[in-house]
Amino acid sequence: MADSDQVLVEDKLFVKKLIFNRPRQLNALSYVMVDRLSELFLAYEEDPDVKLIILKGTGRAFCAGGDVAAVARDISKGDWRLGGKFFRKEFILNYLMATYTKAQVSILNGIVMGGGAGASIHGRFRVATENTVFAMPETALGLFPDVGASYFLSRLPGFFGEYVGLIGARLDGAEMLACGLATHFVHSTKLPLLEAALCEARLNDLVNISGIIDKYAYHPEVKEKSAFRRLDIIERCFSHRTVEEIFSAVEKEAAKRDEDWISGALESLKKASPTSLKISLKSIRVGRLQGVGECLVREFRMVFHVLQGEISRDFFEGSRAILLDKDKNPKWKPSSLDQVSDSMVDRYFSRVDDEGWEDLELPARSDLPAFAIAKL
Amino acid sequence: MTASPFDRVSFRTQVLTRHLQTSPSTALSSPSPPSSDPLSSSPCLSYSPPELSESPPAFDTNQMRALLDAHDIRERDWVFNLILQSNLFNPRKIGHRTFVSPDYNQSMEQQREITMRRVEYLLHRGVYRGWLTGRDAESELRKLAVFEVISIFDHSLGVKLGVHFFLWGGAIQFFGTKRHHDKWLQVSEDYGIKGCFAMTELGHGTNVKGIETVTTYDSLTGEFVINTPCETAQKYWIGGAAKHATHTIVFSQLNINGKNEGVHAFIVQIRDADGNICPNIRIADCGHKIGLNGVDNGRIWFDNVRIPRENLLNSVADVSPDGQYLSTIKDPDQRFAAFLAPLTSGRVNIAASAVYKSKVGLATAIRYSLSRRAFAAAPNEPEILLLDYPTHQRRLLPLLAKTYAMSFAANYLKSVFVQRTPETNKTIHVVSSAFKATLTWHNMRTLQECREACGGQGLKTENRVGQLKSEYDVQSTFEGDNNVLMQQISKALLAEYVSAQKNKKPFKGLWLEHMNGTSPVIPSQLSSSDLRCSGFQTDIFYLRERDLLNRFAAQVSELQRLGHSREQALLLSYQLAEDLGRAFADKAIFLTFIEAEEKVPAGSLKDVLGLVRSLYALIILEEDAAFLRYGYLSTENAAAVREEVKKLCSGLRPHALALVRSFGIPDAFLGPIAFDWVDANSWSSAQS
Repeated sequence: MADSDQVLVEDKLFVKKLIFNRPRQLNALSYVMVDRLSELFLAYEEDPDVKLIILKGTGRAFCAGGDVAAVARDISKGDWRLGGKFFRKEFILNYLMATYTKAQVSILNGIVMGGGAGASIHGRFRVATENTVFAMPETALGLFPDVGASYFLSRLPGFFGEYVGLIGARLDGAEMLACGLATHFVHSTKLPLLEAALCEARLNDLVNISGIIDKYAYHPEVKEKSAFRRLDIIERCFSHRTVEEIFSAVEKEAAKRDEDWISGALESLKKASPTSLKISLKSIRVGRLQGVGECLVREFRMVFHVLQGEISRDFFEGSRAILLDKDKNPKWKPSSLDQVSDSMVDRYFSRVDDEGWEDLELPARSDLPAFAIAKL
Repeated sequence: MTASPFDRVSFRTQVLTRHLQTSPSTALSSPSPPSSDPLSSSPCLSYSPPELSESPPAFDTNQMRALLDAHDIRERDWVFNLILQSNLFNPRKIGHRTFVSPDYNQSMEQQREITMRRVEYLLHRGVYRGWLTGRDAESELRKLAVFEVISIFDHSLGVKLGVHFFLWGGAIQFFGTKRHHDKWLQVSEDYGIKGCFAMTELGHGTNVKGIETVTTYDSLTGEFVINTPCETAQKYWIGGAAKHATHTIVFSQLNINGKNEGVHAFIVQIRDADGNICPNIRIADCGHKIGLNGVDNGRIWFDNVRIPRENLLNSVADVSPDGQYLSTIKDPDQRFAAFLAPLTSGRVNIAASAVYKSKVGLATAIRYSLSRRAFAAAPNEPEILLLDYPTHQRRLLPLLAKTYAMSFAANYLKSVFVQRTPETNKTIHVVSSAFKATLTWHNMRTLQECREACGGQGLKTENRVGQLKSEYDVQSTFEGDNNVLMQQISKALLAEYVSAQKNKKPFKGLWLEHMNGTSPVIPSQLSSSDLRCSGFQTDIFYLRERDLLNRFAAQVSELQRLGHSREQALLLSYQLAEDLGRAFADKAIFLTFIEAEEKVPAGSLKDVLGLVRSLYALIILEEDAAFLRYGYLSTENAAAVREEVKKLCSGLRPHALALVRSFGIPDAFLGPIAFDWVDANSWSSAQS
């Protein structure tokens, strides 16, 4: 496939439709895609004829994440700093979306993971469907929920964000709507009508985009066994100060009750990289006190330390085991939580002192509407 | 001159147009040329976040925060997280942001109940683990850090916890022995019981020695009998007593075999587990207060209340089963002093947390002043950002510098307190008195200035600054009246002076070693670089203290020679005592700043700290008349100081945003006025 086909563009009257088009890779974000999206978003912001951007994917995924496998391959061939190029471009796009002056409607009719979440959740409207599967699976990969996830996960109700981020829990569309990751839920059969309505809307109607989507949306019941119905238990477990305490609280709850979600949570905690769990928890906790820009700058520093691999090389081991060799049996190092000290964790958050790496420089954004300013 | 309505409208339009086109930070110095482009995109003033208009921080604000908070950053952030994620803490969406602060529009009863529920929420999250059972320096510091965080949210919550942990728990730790520790500490930490602290009476507050509650011993039953002999002996202001507390520490005169052995402390149960008041105890409410209504202050009367002999907290003195008074400390004054130890921990906590409210006030007022404009310098010029007015800088930035200095002072106090030894007791007593008074006064003054600097917006409760004044006003009174505490400093310094003279020994401790050398000499013409030099600043603080101590000692001894008693002589010398107390406090705060600054490696952070320190030192020189009154500064030098203050204010102006950012207070804990106040006050926000 030609590079230029990785993002398809459909031009409507006031609307631009951008379509991720790498269905065989579940629309995993390549550098080319991120670059193209950035370019288009910047151009549309200047274009007075564009009022709305619709973002969707071909096939069964919206977007399954950043193309981490490619990043890991690149790195294994050459300088690890090369990986930074992708993340830098991606994080800046995330920031652009979070502070975008025009409406972005992301149609999440399928898999939304990692980088896919970053490309949608920061935008104004997120439409989930019965096909949506959301997850931030980074802790199983030796990474941490990035793309500004420390901003949006930390803003979920109670300590649900810690649960989703540490466990890599899968959420369906109803759960996404209930917790606020999605703004609307539309049945997939209604999507063509919704898109048509948005594309055909007159300028005046576009003031109330939410109202247009509302016409096709409804509130589905969150399933009986959903973790979202157990927010009290999640709070008891995931509000703890350290990963160790969270782990033992989950262990206790899992022993007390025969519920899939909690035993699943325990399994995930056991399988995840101990280093990833610790830096992810701290990232979410610090992120809760920061704006989206600060979160991205900090996460970008964390990415540096992950890629540099001086404190732990879990990201490479995770990519090998899950994405490349696919033996699903990563050997984490350090191998247990108690071997990951606070000072090791703190180093992931420290300022980068490396000639080949600069801090993330966020583009200056002016004339922002109030909703975007609130995120700064 | 009368302008037609049309002229006025078009003038206004031009002014507004210029706003939108001029870089705010350069507004005062270089107005942009008039533009021909009319107001097309934005017909009104719009909010611009200071982050966009100000230049990026010249130093790492995270690093600065680490320096200011000094310890337990992770613990602090965890507690901020706990508060933010619970509906108990009254999160409200205002505009497009969420803010947390108590709902002060609730009735007194509602505020008390919600405060207790917040206490329980934090209990169940494990926040208090180790607060009474762990006694190492780390857990004490962690506890102090959490108090600082909580006090940013609400004083009632802080006081409710402070009474239970510092006063009730501290009394058991300090005055109790193993039997009390084993029985009470764990159950208190878990809130199996709720403690309070009955020291103050209607007739006696800071003068604890004078309290009138009386306890006798009945050797037939092995019980103490506690009585409130008169109305002025009723226990007053007892936090927790009106509603929730089940137990209290009672301070009372102990009368054994007809002899008054002085003030002692006893454990008394005042309510049963169901909340019913125990027999022979009467409790009344102190009623609505000017602030702090989430705390149920009450009054207690004791009518022949009998308690087991074991309930005497007996670390310094005991009564044997057959009624003999036993004490290892013979001197009743020393015995009494030992009883005031928990108040010291309270004072440390108050001093340290006072700084954080100044931080809330300054972060709010300074952020507002970087987004709010008023008046144009000339027609057709843009209106000026508040903080670009030198007057506004002069109002807020010296308070900012003092708040920085006092953060370092509080950190010093905490560190000596948690590493205390019998040798450091005197230092801790003097320094905690000085800092508690100075830091809480500074807090009230800062909040008032910040309230005014926010104009009408400062009056809105949701913007926090004004409300904090009434919530924190009590800090200058409880745990020792500020004025009385300040007098104690001069007394302590005089004692040092007399002892050095009498024993012909050099001064040691309380940073008085400078008294052993020769008097510093201040240059007759102070240059700008002299004024910013830490050597000069140290010298002049030393000179002032040295001279005032000499004068004070001379005046007291002269008055004694004329036939006054020592006490009278001290009372009559109150003016010098006041000057000296302030001189000591300012010097001590300054020296803790220098110490903190020295540890920072060379770089932009250290440079900015140097400016802040100089502004702190010079504003003291400018404000305290003692420097001119006693001639430490010539009038010429005083004028030079004033000029330099002006320069330092404008020098710090570009760093103002980064300096308040470094306070590490999460956005949600400030008022809406610190952010997009146009959005927060928009019609659509008013509809939700």
